[in-house]
Amino acid sequence: MLREQAGKSVLDLTTTAATPAELYRELQASHALTFPATLLRVSINERYVTMESPLQPGDRVVFIPPVAGG
Amino acid sequence: MFRGLSSLSALFSTLFELTTQPIDSAALRARLERPDAGACVVFEGWVRNHHLGKPVTQLEYEAFDDMARIEGDAIVTETEQHHPGCTILCVHRTGTLRVGELAVWIGVVSAHRAAAFLACRETIEEIKRRLPVWKKEHHLDGAAEWVNCTTEAAAKGPQPADYYARQSSLPEVSASGQEQLAKARVLVVGIGGLGCPAALYLTGAGAGHLTLVDAGRVELSNLHRQVLFTTDDLGAPKTAAAVTALRARNPFIQLEGLATELSASNARALVAGHTVVLDCTDNFATRFILHDACLAAGVPLVQAAVHRFEGTLDVFRRGDGGCLHCQWKSRPIAELDTAAGNCAGAPVFGPAVGLLGVMQAGEAIKIILGLETAETHRRTHLVNQLDCSVLSIAREADPACPVCGQEESFQPAVFSNQPTDAVLLSLDEMAALGKVQMVALLEPGESLDPARSATGTLPVPVGDIARLRELAALGPVILTCRHGVRSAAIARLLRLEGATGIYAMAGSSAAIGSSRV
Repeated sequence: MLREQAGKSVLDLTTTAATPAELYRELQASHALTFPATLLRVSINERYVTMESPLQPGDRVVFIPPVAGG
Repeated sequence: MFRGLSSLSALFSTLFELTTQPIDSAALRARLERPDAGACVVFEGWVRNHHLGKPVTQLEYEAFDDMARIEGDAIVTETEQHHPGCTILCVHRTGTLRVGELAVWIGVVSAHRAAAFLACRETIEEIKRRLPVWKKEHHLDGAAEWVNCTTEAAAKGPQPADYYARQSSLPEVSASGQEQLAKARVLVVGIGGLGCPAALYLTGAGAGHLTLVDAGRVELSNLHRQVLFTTDDLGAPKTAAAVTALRARNPFIQLEGLATELSASNARALVAGHTVVLDCTDNFATRFILHDACLAAGVPLVQAAVHRFEGTLDVFRRGDGGCLHCQWKSRPIAELDTAAGNCAGAPVFGPAVGLLGVMQAGEAIKIILGLETAETHRRTHLVNQLDCSVLSIAREADPACPVCGQEESFQPAVFSNQPTDAVLLSLDEMAALGKVQMVALLEPGESLDPARSATGTLPVPVGDIARLRELAALGPVILTCRHGVRSAAIARLLRLEGATGIYAMAGSSAAIGSSRV
């Protein structure tokens, strides 16, 4: 659903965000994402982390919304 | 419940009969007449003039009478249980029969044709397979031979070794792996877009006992992705249609269909005794209940979930890479379900859900064969059909997880230890509640019939959980929604949160229309 709202699945960007939470706030503003941050899981470099984990240059961040369909 | 009905009808009539007299079809058909029946399916087995290339002039059928009656009754009773609402009558002839005479007569009546066709087919297949009846064939050349119907079917039919040849010749499987599969008991919960392909491949692989759980019936909008069903199955219970379809694919495994809904009160009993469990359901409420039951029993759980073109695959095992609660912490399940947006009408790309279902079957088979690796099982696999990509995210147990955090003091069922029964209400039960607030949960683009709002039904956007909590605090609330899925899930979730007077109407609401179709 984030993909649909943003219109793309991968973004390369330069940011001053120090955590995934800050990064997501930036993306919400720049890509009009309405999905609430509290219901997202997040990974950095393919490991689950919390929204408050520190970001390093070159990190790959994935936001994963809840999925339940079957 | 259905067992009771069957026993009751057994008091009034015999369901299975052996006779030495010619079978009178019209008289038997008349015995089945009932005013609520809209369909009658009849099968007649005739004596034909050839068998395995040899001309046949007449047949002699001989049965162990008592045993055949007991087995015949059992077949009819079981088939009626598999197809609720069907009444079955079956008569088998014994003695000498000439070419063209009736050997077996089976009649099934029910409200709708789909169930009657399925039940009739199942009855004759089971009769052929199980009934202790022998037949003596008299050939044109004067020779005669006795043939046991069951032995005959087994001798002529496919053999397991041939069936599994292309699989058991894999060094990773081999004859011993095939035996492991034959001993395995696999539970598939949810027979939809995930469950259909998963069950197909488990059946093909020879998982010895397959238990299928789903309370739903086959609908037209299921067919584009639920590959076990055909248009003939419309309206039939999913488990019955699935068992019939799977039985036709593999005669060597046990198939059990349970037309029931997984709940906190039956989850542990359903999981017990299974080697591995597949979560093919469509909402977080059920997913958490099943997950907790599997962790408590120490049974591996293969879980998949899909949204449109993409999905997730996880294997959860006790003490291995954390659990579902580690991932979602204390986020309210109701909010997760609302955010996931999986009402029965949600759009879904057939191949994507099929892909995930097939992957689930593959993981389950790997677990049975001991081919799984910690590398694959401590990860969430994000599968994306649009990009043709799989991204695997490493999971770790959260040491502070209230459910799996302390391995020594495992506490299952943080969410699922509260009764959620009696959430679904029939119209009679709703009437018995007296004064209640009716609520119609609306998706964007859906609207409530004005006549319904005039009688006090309150429209509430499906995501407005806070409003539902407020209403539930004021008095009994009954939720409805267009398909009856979301309302049931949300009612259960609010129960889990502690609300007591919240219910859902069983089934869909005709008062909710959609402008989206």
